[in-house]
Amino acid sequence: MTPEEKERIMGLSIEEKIDQSKKVIKEAIEKFGHEKIAIAWTGGKDSTTMAWLFKAACKELSVPMPKCMFIDEGYVFEEIWDVVNKLKKEWNLNVVIAKNTDVSDKAKNVGDMVKVSSLNERNRAEIVKLGFEDAEFPFEPESYVGNHLMKTVAMNMFMEKHGVQALATAIRWDEQTARVAEGYFSPRSNPPHTRVQPILHFKERDIWNTIQKYKIPFCSLYYQGYRSLGAKGSTVKMSDIPAWEQDLENTTERAGRGQGKEEIMGKLRDLGYM
Amino acid sequence: MLGFLKKKLSPKDSSKKVIVLGIDGVPYSLLVRFMNEGIMPNLSAMVKKGTLTDMTASIPEVSSTSWSTFMTGVNPGKHGIYGFMEVQKDSYKWRFPNSSDIKSGTLWDIAGRHDKKSIVLNLPSTYPAKKLNGILTAGFVALDLKKATYPESAYEYLKSIDYRMDVDTQKAKESLSALSADIDQAFEIRKNAMLHFLDNEEWDLFIGVITETDRLHHYLWCALEDKSHSEHKFFINFYKKIDALIGEFYKRAGQEIPFIIVSDHGSTAIKKEIYLNSWLREKGYLKFKKEPPGSFEEISEDSRVFVLDPSRFYIHLKEKYSRGCVDAGEYEGLRQKLKEELLSLEIDGEKVIKTVFMKEELYSGNYNSDAPDLVALSMHGYDLKGAVSKTEIAGRSQLTGGHTRDDAVFFINRDVGERDINIVDVGPTIISLLGIKGENFDGRSLL
Repeated sequence: MTPEEKERIMGLSIEEKIDQSKKVIKEAIEKFGHEKIAIAWTGGKDSTTMAWLFKAACKELSVPMPKCMFIDEGYVFEEIWDVVNKLKKEWNLNVVIAKNTDVSDKAKNVGDMVKVSSLNERNRAEIVKLGFEDAEFPFEPESYVGNHLMKTVAMNMFMEKHGVQALATAIRWDEQTARVAEGYFSPRSNPPHTRVQPILHFKERDIWNTIQKYKIPFCSLYYQGYRSLGAKGSTVKMSDIPAWEQDLENTTERAGRGQGKEEIMGKLRDLGYM
Repeated sequence: MLGFLKKKLSPKDSSKKVIVLGIDGVPYSLLVRFMNEGIMPNLSAMVKKGTLTDMTASIPEVSSTSWSTFMTGVNPGKHGIYGFMEVQKDSYKWRFPNSSDIKSGTLWDIAGRHDKKSIVLNLPSTYPAKKLNGILTAGFVALDLKKATYPESAYEYLKSIDYRMDVDTQKAKESLSALSADIDQAFEIRKNAMLHFLDNEEWDLFIGVITETDRLHHYLWCALEDKSHSEHKFFINFYKKIDALIGEFYKRAGQEIPFIIVSDHGSTAIKKEIYLNSWLREKGYLKFKKEPPGSFEEISEDSRVFVLDPSRFYIHLKEKYSRGCVDAGEYEGLRQKLKEELLSLEIDGEKVIKTVFMKEELYSGNYNSDAPDLVALSMHGYDLKGAVSKTEIAGRSQLTGGHTRDDAVFFINRDVGERDINIVDVGPTIISLLGIKGENFDGRSLL
């Protein structure tokens, strides 16, 4: 996509953006079939809006809604479970929980040490691939090994088990600079599948305008001032006022996210790295 | 006589203390110049009773690698830190090593095992803070003060003084004078915190690091030589403040307590930044699926080499990377060819690369899996970069100062005969001054 084309799409009205997203979703369904697509749903505002768009597009095509994959990385906010359970019922969603139980069973609490030798072959092989050489690692969803096993490996196992050929994710161009080069369809290897990214052109403000205009349910944490939701324990409030009332255009959406990769990158860039 | 008495009074050498002041990015040559110009009178007086010398830093000459070498006394092949970032070998996503990735014991780990207390302030690559016998608040890249600090009481104190973990370099976008003001403010708070801990807490080993010098150099090196520059006076005055802080430390150390000043690399004016991945792309070694690429996640399967900051070359081996294409049999030939081509790289008719090192010339140990296959060292003034999304080979940015591997600085208020000093030698020297024997290092004690 040319930068001019991207700029044009970013400048569309909410209704036009919704149509653009539905067009991408319909193209994905025609290409892969609804049973080979999964919707990556986190319970956050973006993926909930994406699920709502899927519901509308499927209705227009008269096809069933694809299954939703929810990754339980072992430290999910109660408020996230609330909205997941509520929408599962109200929207009649087929929600599959993806969880790497081989790892989570070995830890009672977040921070507990997990012995590499206690894990199954698949998880051990994944750890070797990371180049991690210690005998144990802390069970922390946002730590290097923990994040990989509880998110990436859990997701890969889900895709393999369900024969998923296309995974719809709710990333947006304006969310972080690392994403500006993304397109609506992005082929991935390991496992081979296509990422479908139908809401790339939504800005953070557009998401809130859509949620409010169409009364899409959302997680109560946003009322409390959270802007972007990661794992509990590593996500902090940006402010005490609701997310949509904050200065979305001039502050960073993901600044409250614990892993801080973007923050680290920003600091390194300021000193000439990256 | 006095030493004999002391020894008798404290049979376990518990009186052996060491103070270390780290000054990030400060070149030996600049200190010599400022002493000659009368800008650093405290240092001038101290040098008469001690040793001030140039020192070589780690390779690559970046803070994370060099300070990790300082704090462990071993080479990166043993401590495992080769830079600020790594690429994950299966997903090509960024990974940022932190304190948990340092594989070798630190000076304060060793001191703690001998019942000695350490205070470690603002040392890069110590985030998040781990438990120790003493106090630590981490330096660059620290994100959250609470996670950066051990124990809780130290965090409460730092919070109460509105402690700053770093300069807000974003101020440079506003104006250079706004950045100067911020450098000044961050330094003042850091100085106050250092003197507070120095005076009010117990310690055997005290390590405090000033990082404002490095930020100053990166953004305002241009102001050093140019007397008409709006920040020239600020630059000079800032070094007067550094000298005053050195004086404060020396008041407490005297000649009694060993006092070491050390930097992690030198600094010099940037003539051009050199984007090594652009060079690799032009030579056909590196390809991306998208143009311009956003990150290594878009690297093509037929890429043979890539570079991570600042000048770490990685061969895209089939056996190592999920999209790797280079067979083990081609590895040696490819490295030799790259080395030759790098050494003949010229910009504006000038040679850019001074030396190219092979992995095995630099690193040994059990943590070689992230080790670069080759590392290039540039001629002064050419700042080597691993940027992914640049298209040109050479360019400029807002930064006017870059790093050097040579011309780092080492001072101690003792006589040292040895002049061929590397940063790996500083840790073993400290441990020996603490009266601890029998530890294994790659460096050697200078005393």
